[in-house]
Amino acid sequence: MAFNLTRRKFLQSASLAAVALPLSKAIASESGVTRSPFEAKGSSGDKTVTGGICEMCFWRCQLVGKTRNDRLVKLEGNPKSIDNGTSLCARGNAGIKLLYDPDRLKYPLKNVGKRGAPKWKRISWDEALDECGKKLNMIKDKYGPQGISVFPHGSTAKYPMHFFERTVGTPNISEASFFQCRGIRDTAYLATIGIPPGEKVDMPNAKVIFLLGGHFGENVHVSHIKSYMKGLQNGAKLIVVDPRYSASAAKSDIWVKIKPGTDTAFLLSIMQYLIEKGKYAVDFIDEYGDGFEEFAEGIKGWTLDKAAKECDIPAKQIKEVADMLADNAPNVSIHPGRHVSWYGNDFQRQRSLACLTGILGAFYVKGGWVPAKGPKVGKISWKHKEHEEEHNLNVNSDDELYHPYTPPGTPTELIRDAALTGKPYPIKGCVIWGQNPIQTIPDQEKMKQVLKQMDFVMCVDVMPTDVTMWADILLPEVSYLERYDLIKTGTQWDFSEKHQQYISARMPIVPPLFERKDQVYITNEIARRMGYQEDIPVKTIEELVEKNLKVAGLSIEQLKKEDGIHIREGKDPYTMPEDFEIIFYNEDIEDSGFPGIPTYIPVEQPPEGFARLLYGRVPVHTFNRSQNNVWLNAAMPTNPVWLNDALAKKMGLKDGDEVGFINQDGIKSRTTTTVKTTPGIRKDCVYMGHGYGSANPLMSVGVGAGVDDTSLITKITIDPETGCNGMRNNFIKFTKDGKTIDIPTAV
Amino acid sequence: MIRNRSSNHVSTLYRFCAQSMCYPDPLWLTEKYFSSLYNLLDTLGGTREKELLISALNDSSDYLEDLQVEYTRLFINGAPHVVAPPYGSVYLEKSLQGKYAEKILLYYHSCGYSLSQKADFPDNLIHQLEFLSFLAEDKKQQEEEDFLLRFFQPWYPIFSKLVKKNSHHPFYHVIITIIDFFTKEEKEYGV
Repeated sequence: MAFNLTRRKFLQSASLAAVALPLSKAIASESGVTRSPFEAKGSSGDKTVTGGICEMCFWRCQLVGKTRNDRLVKLEGNPKSIDNGTSLCARGNAGIKLLYDPDRLKYPLKNVGKRGAPKWKRISWDEALDECGKKLNMIKDKYGPQGISVFPHGSTAKYPMHFFERTVGTPNISEASFFQCRGIRDTAYLATIGIPPGEKVDMPNAKVIFLLGGHFGENVHVSHIKSYMKGLQNGAKLIVVDPRYSASAAKSDIWVKIKPGTDTAFLLSIMQYLIEKGKYAVDFIDEYGDGFEEFAEGIKGWTLDKAAKECDIPAKQIKEVADMLADNAPNVSIHPGRHVSWYGNDFQRQRSLACLTGILGAFYVKGGWVPAKGPKVGKISWKHKEHEEEHNLNVNSDDELYHPYTPPGTPTELIRDAALTGKPYPIKGCVIWGQNPIQTIPDQEKMKQVLKQMDFVMCVDVMPTDVTMWADILLPEVSYLERYDLIKTGTQWDFSEKHQQYISARMPIVPPLFERKDQVYITNEIARRMGYQEDIPVKTIEELVEKNLKVAGLSIEQLKKEDGIHIREGKDPYTMPEDFEIIFYNEDIEDSGFPGIPTYIPVEQPPEGFARLLYGRVPVHTFNRSQNNVWLNAAMPTNPVWLNDALAKKMGLKDGDEVGFINQDGIKSRTTTTVKTTPGIRKDCVYMGHGYGSANPLMSVGVGAGVDDTSLITKITIDPETGCNGMRNNFIKFTKDGKTIDIPTAV
Repeated sequence: MIRNRSSNHVSTLYRFCAQSMCYPDPLWLTEKYFSSLYNLLDTLGGTREKELLISALNDSSDYLEDLQVEYTRLFINGAPHVVAPPYGSVYLEKSLQGKYAEKILLYYHSCGYSLSQKADFPDNLIHQLEFLSFLAEDKKQQEEEDFLLRFFQPWYPIFSKLVKKNSHHPFYHVIITIIDFFTKEEKEYGV
């Protein structure tokens, strides 16, 4: 299309006036450009803004931003930090590209198309909030508060989660960080030592560091990596148990190339050997152990030879590991892990890790498991109101818990099954806040069916992740660089240094862009519209932070004066609490119908022609939240699949070949990735980085980049004690050029 | 630049283009607006464009929502993906608020203009057109030419092509064509 005359002729013609006059009357908007006094050239607005706390992953490093006229130009670690110091990882540096990502959510959007195939229309906040309040109230009135489900994740989701759980009264909360990640670890340690373990091992002062599946270096949390590296620099031996030659395995003294799913057998045999040989912390267990005799008796059958056969590793290597641990006990770091939702037999494995730590006497000693003593701050949120207990999906008809060691919330599958069957009651509303259940929960089709049957779905996020395509209302949240938010506390990570505590609060590095809002604003406005205005605990996010800081005698103003971080004298972390005990044999677990002594439960093996799909972290991505980041995508655009080199030869595959996958249920990967052949992986499994291959075209960088491993995890396994998902019981074959290629080795 | 034009009228044309790139809202998307647009199209010889536009508007049960959905898809967040964010930095630096945005703001300042509190990023197409409107109104033709050459032309043609290729509604095709018309150089005539 073009016009018949030239611009020059038109502007010179008499028609110009005839056209321009009516046009001038059609202009109704105010100009964003204004006349102003002349300003000298040159940049005058350079500043260093302190108070930032990273959220490119959940480790939350302290940072500063270099800004120029409100434009963020660089992120750096806060020099005052005694945690990450001046260091930020690649993801932390790339946060700037999240802030200014053109694909980020900018305004409230209403879906005027279909769920899963949205047509977005920008709407006002009032309209969006009215719609959310009205629809959620309709669901609450018709089905009760339990008719609303919540899928939260991250620091901004706590406040809304508490509103729906404590105030509205739905028990149907599923946090991915618990049910698809670390919840099993926390409840297993709670059932053994009474405290969730975090990753609180004193690695800088350890003589041995023991990692079961931990792949540090690929999984980067700055101060944790510093702590690990300091330990190695100080001469710690490193034992890595992993089917794959990971970055940590590459630094190890002993790499245990274990058969996937058999870790508990391995741990039991170590403990059995140490007990049999009397190489355990007898005095320590006498003082702090409970149920040790029953435990020792219960694991007696786990000889080195039996475990060697089960785990497909040499018996002498198990002995070597056991001896190395015993010879250096109690100064050994038995790492509790973080993402532990692996095989559906994970509670027992995590209990075994806690018991192994106890057998070595490695609690509250140098190099052992040592929870630092951090400062106290407030935890203001919504108050608990009285709600009926009868809607807990985790309770059976005999009033017993299906999964007695569940993390907080309701196991995901119980929520999804109730939503799909309408039994014991319908679940028709869904609030998704910072979580991407399409890529975090196994069986994507099931999740889509759950969302389809809802009367209303709302999402709050910073990016248009896969699940946002299923929203009716999509609300844009400020990023971690644009908001006040959580208070981070802690201590110095090397306990051999002067004991210090720190308190820092997230403060905005730049003002919020577009119409993005914070969690307190959004939640409060929905609460008002649902009739809960009297229950609102704080008016603004700043008020929330102020009240929480006040408990520690601080304020935002004071923290700003102190460059974002308050440092105070710390406490000796090695002091053992008086009531500390290690429950080796747990009668309560047994009374609930589960093994009270850590027990190995074998898992399904790959069918012929298939290999087990394993996944893990890559250093430049944090699951799907960094998929669309231009810098990080450039650093590692896809997730090559690790394949044993001998197998690859038999399969006719070589490095760089483009392949897809098909799983045991016939589900094919939407996209392809390249092959990485290596002797550094067992023949019964393949491995790929997690968090690739977004299906959402709105993520214009991340869409279709690499393969989405979760799309191939369709078989659901449940860890019976906790109700958490086991994610590594799915099996795949390769596809290439339209043909399926069997994996010749399977077990 | 053209020496004997009426600066105020040119200023109005730029402002009209800027107005047309705002989010569709009944406050400005009025009968008066459309009649002015049709008049402009008649004068420019855009009969076909006018017919297509009238037909699309008449065939719709809710033309305002159609335009809002189209605007959101093209310029904010859309499926399959946002087609053409209206910011120069996106095309020059693959990012919002790039160095380009900073440079353009400095240029506004150096000419005696600034952005209001409510304004979007300085490199937003709307603000660039508003700035051109001010330059025209204040008879700063040299700066107008300089701005078009140094700041506008390096990215706008890419944006324009994307919108024209991907728009589902004739409205934005028409508006972008009009902006093309008023901002491009006519080298053959030695403008």
